[in-house]
Amino acid sequence: MSTASAPAGVSVEVMAQREADIRVSDLRKTFKVPEREAGLRASMRSLVRRTHREVHAVAGVCFQIPAGEVVGFLGPNGAGKTTTLKMLSGLLFPTSGDVSVLGHVPWRRERDYLRRMTLVMGNRNQLQWDIPALDSFEMNRAIYRIPYPDFRATRDEIVELLEIGDLVRKPVRTLSLGERMKAEIAAAMLHRPQVLFLDEPTIGLDVTMQKRIRTFLGEYNRRYGATVLLTSHYMADVQALCKRVIVIDEGSILYDGSLRELSTRYAPHQTINVTLADPGHDLGGFGEILTAEDASDSSRVSLKVPKEQTSAVAARLLAAHDVTDLTIEDPPVEDVIEQVFSGPAPTSVGSRP
Amino acid sequence: MAGRVSLAGTFLRVGALNELQYRVNFFLSLVQSVVAVGTALVVLALVFSHTDSLGGWSSDELLVIMGVYVLMGGLIRSVIQPNMQQLMDDVQEGTLDYVLTKPADAQLLVSVRRFGLWQTVDIVVGLLLVAVALVRLDEPVSLWSVLAFVLALVLGGLDIYCFWLILTTSAFSVIRVDFLVELFDGMYQAGRWPVTIYPGWLRIGFTFLVPLAFAVTVPASALTGRLSGWLLLGAVAFTVGLLTLTRWVWRQGLRRYSGASA
Repeated sequence: MSTASAPAGVSVEVMAQREADIRVSDLRKTFKVPEREAGLRASMRSLVRRTHREVHAVAGVCFQIPAGEVVGFLGPNGAGKTTTLKMLSGLLFPTSGDVSVLGHVPWRRERDYLRRMTLVMGNRNQLQWDIPALDSFEMNRAIYRIPYPDFRATRDEIVELLEIGDLVRKPVRTLSLGERMKAEIAAAMLHRPQVLFLDEPTIGLDVTMQKRIRTFLGEYNRRYGATVLLTSHYMADVQALCKRVIVIDEGSILYDGSLRELSTRYAPHQTINVTLADPGHDLGGFGEILTAEDASDSSRVSLKVPKEQTSAVAARLLAAHDVTDLTIEDPPVEDVIEQVFSGPAPTSVGSRP
Repeated sequence: MAGRVSLAGTFLRVGALNELQYRVNFFLSLVQSVVAVGTALVVLALVFSHTDSLGGWSSDELLVIMGVYVLMGGLIRSVIQPNMQQLMDDVQEGTLDYVLTKPADAQLLVSVRRFGLWQTVDIVVGLLLVAVALVRLDEPVSLWSVLAFVLALVLGGLDIYCFWLILTTSAFSVIRVDFLVELFDGMYQAGRWPVTIYPGWLRIGFTFLVPLAFAVTVPASALTGRLSGWLLLGAVAFTVGLLTLTRWVWRQGLRRYSGASA
């Protein structure tokens, strides 16, 4: 690392660029998939002559991630997230484009590279089913050739952080989904990887488990300065861990920037929820009415209001009506993301230098 | 090389320790083995109630073949088959990805991950059968023939492993491979007789396509004074060739899997 010897005056931006752990430029992956109509006749025909369709799973993706950054990789199913992660972890050859992770070309699968990265897929297990996780850890120790003292230290630290001390001695098949996932993540971290590719690491888990895993990943990132690229359908994961998000759809990047700016740009509205002491008022003049419920002695109304007008509208509401409760909410990130996918950005598409 | 041996050693140890938890399986394996051997002995006795020799092998010499057959079967079921089945599962479930992101030789990894400790009962039973047969034959067994036997066994095991891995590697493109296990079991049954009793085309098939001859007949020949140095040398050459071919097929399979050849 050249950090110590860096000349004074070099801006943080430049340093970050120079030390980018992950560089991806114009990455493309096209799959050829056999295609046929439904029905017997069509299947007979496809036996003789196959027709193929080209699917552009990843269609020219560019981004850089500096060392130590946690980035959320968002997009609907089939957007190209997993394909990109597979290329970054060396499992797939790209159709074209360049990738460098920690200075390595992933798909050459050099041992020096593989020793420094890890891949976790939430819907696929690597632990052996019939044996305790501890034994699978031991196998990983042998594979990564981790010296025993390091291995023990890291293992104990991770086991403690994830609170799985009792679980790792039981055969994996007796664990619950959440417990198993924690053990899976522990197994994937024993060699202290510098780059983490996490594909839906919290999928199907309950809220407490998600939270525990999230906290662990955040802590791991802080302690070891690891670079993390994370996909998740749970926005809570992304909000807790990622300052920056990359939104991808149909193989192309729609947005790359801070999570906060994503909200401002794609959701220029806020919601005012107001409860009035008496029913029967029309609040249409204050903003677009989202919901309105009248009870016998009160009325609850949600209004969609442009962000810059929220405080003024709230003040007017308070002055004009007998308000018992008033809250202002940002739209949920899920809605913002939906907004991103549903159409072009209100302003120009975000991009990072 | 030392790293590879220690990796395989760790896997073997972990596998064996875990199998020790399921002691009932030991008795199951034992019963299974005894029943199988008993049935085979009855068939052998029936055959020799009609004739004195089969394809030039006497009844006690055929007992050697049977011993080697049982022994090799144990080796296949304890080491080769569990790993190959795991590999097939991994390909179908997409978990092979985890093997390929490990900093170790992927072929080695998929070949040593599983170990069926109790299936080694068959190895012991097979060795006992061979010992009994040798005592009954009452002919001195030289050190050279024991060494040749061990070498031939190792070669035969490697040949069967190669055969399996080549078949399994086709799983990268052909997904329905569940029947491979049954197909192989069926063919392996033929190994309980010396390949010399089969008609020419089948003999060639059982020698070079499904290497039964090298797995069973050749090691048994070493103990019954039938194995020439040239044949053993041939077995070495065949095995080296097959290992090389297997490596190549494995690499091609990986290339296809990662979309490199498309």
